[in-house]
Amino acid sequence: MGYFQNIKDTITTIFEGMAITASHFVRKPYTVQYPDRIDIRIQDTLPFRYRGLLDVDLEICTGCLACERACPIDCIVIDADKNKKTKEMVLKRFDIDLAKCMYCGLCSEPCPTGSIHHTPEFEGADYSLESLVRRYVKAPIPAYKPIKGPETDPEVAPILSRGLKYLDEFATPGDSK
Amino acid sequence: MSTTSIEIGLERETPAGLETEEMTLNMGPQHPSTHGVLRFVVKADGEIMRRAIPDIGYLHRSIEKISEKVGYHGFMPYTDRVDYVSAMQCNQGWAIACESLAGIEVPRRGEYCRVIACEFGRIASHLISVGATAMDIGAFTPFTHALREREKINDILEELCGARLTFNYMRIGGCAWDIPPGFIKRATAFLDAFEPLIDEYNELISFNKIYTERMGNVAPVSAELAIAWNLVGPNLRGSGVKYDVRKDEPYSVYPEFDFDVPVGEGKMGEVGDCWDRYMVRMDEMKESCKILRQALGGLPEGPVVAKVARTFKPPVGEAYVRVEGSRGDMGWFVVSDGTAFPVRTHIRTGSYSAMAIVEVLSQGLMIADLIAVIASLDIVAPEVDR
Repeated sequence: MGYFQNIKDTITTIFEGMAITASHFVRKPYTVQYPDRIDIRIQDTLPFRYRGLLDVDLEICTGCLACERACPIDCIVIDADKNKKTKEMVLKRFDIDLAKCMYCGLCSEPCPTGSIHHTPEFEGADYSLESLVRRYVKAPIPAYKPIKGPETDPEVAPILSRGLKYLDEFATPGDSK
Repeated sequence: MSTTSIEIGLERETPAGLETEEMTLNMGPQHPSTHGVLRFVVKADGEIMRRAIPDIGYLHRSIEKISEKVGYHGFMPYTDRVDYVSAMQCNQGWAIACESLAGIEVPRRGEYCRVIACEFGRIASHLISVGATAMDIGAFTPFTHALREREKINDILEELCGARLTFNYMRIGGCAWDIPPGFIKRATAFLDAFEPLIDEYNELISFNKIYTERMGNVAPVSAELAIAWNLVGPNLRGSGVKYDVRKDEPYSVYPEFDFDVPVGEGKMGEVGDCWDRYMVRMDEMKESCKILRQALGGLPEGPVVAKVARTFKPPVGEAYVRVEGSRGDMGWFVVSDGTAFPVRTHIRTGSYSAMAIVEVLSQGLMIADLIAVIASLDIVAPEVDR
């Protein structure tokens, strides 16, 4: 192992590495320009379990507060009261602070109807922190009351079936697909 | 290590009439080659370091204290942040600690899913490590190659659990979700493509003469020193000590898999030098591929999660479990008083001891070699502080 052996080793190993680098000139490129160089929206290419921004379907929210309890950082605030006369739950407030949310998915798991769910949307940039607080309840509305058998209300039925499908695919632990 | 030993070999003859003094340099906290927010106070004599004193605490987030406020289930997403480069093993450590508190048995399919997720995480973490080592030494191309492969692993894990970095995949009692349709096919296809790329990567940088000269014989850690300073994981194995929690204190279903524990052999100099620590990680990726193939091939049927109450209240007691994280032996200690919140949680991580040994290793090294030492020890800053 002499002086010249060192020089020879250096040159050969450098050229071995350079050959690999050079071979990438003829390989397929791995990167894609974001966001305008692919045919479909990037959100549509994401896997179905992707945990993006949270969304709530108030039509099927039962006001059970399971998501509020599950959230480790209290980014969900729900006010739900029982109407004394009609004995049904009334949602007065449903806020999600997306600035706090860490997209852990613990809230969408206990939801009985799939009302609170993750969407594939991820572009949530905004100019102020307040606008990141999503306020879903504009005026107090009665909470959804699950009925036995299939849902009959034609307006709620598609939303509920979407919610239950979401639960099937995403939130039910141990569901084999 | 006494201070007298620092002086040995560092005294220089100064010409008469010239006065020299020790220089104190700050390396970090925002330095491109200190992965994360690390700070070293370097006492240097010219270009030779007398010592580099690690200064920790810049990323302290009180994660252990948070566990006392959010409960057992709610702490799972926080464990992702302990070591965000390989979050799966942290998930697993917390899950196993809680399960051993309450005596929950995980279904076999759940254990297999955990192993699959963890080994993918280990490969991704080691890719970051070896890529960043090469980048710190000055070779940028290998870093892009490593990150390219890591992106593919991120895609696979995203499909499995919906997130690319902070997975929150495991639950107390198993895993959150079963493997999705077509996952095994895509994962196997990735492994088929990835294994030849390890050899290509080795050819690209590992045996490059310039690289081996920079890494070989630099800061060797003998087996005794490594054990004395409590090094764990690839850093310990790089010193030639064959210790792996997966083999020596088996947990989960690891005893069912056939894999080797690579150790440093001193091919490019002394046993336990930077190159050995680096090479152990390259070899471990191959072993992880081996485990993954066995796990994907022999996936049993059944549920992935055991029935656990939403308000998880383990009986009074304490548990200490160890898992082999990407940076070595990770200890999870949890004390329960029977309520829904742990009384005390402690996490023991590999980066912390790796950070401590830098002070000893740096004595008498060149400043430029400190970069190689930090990179080869694979210190992840948030894991140091928690």
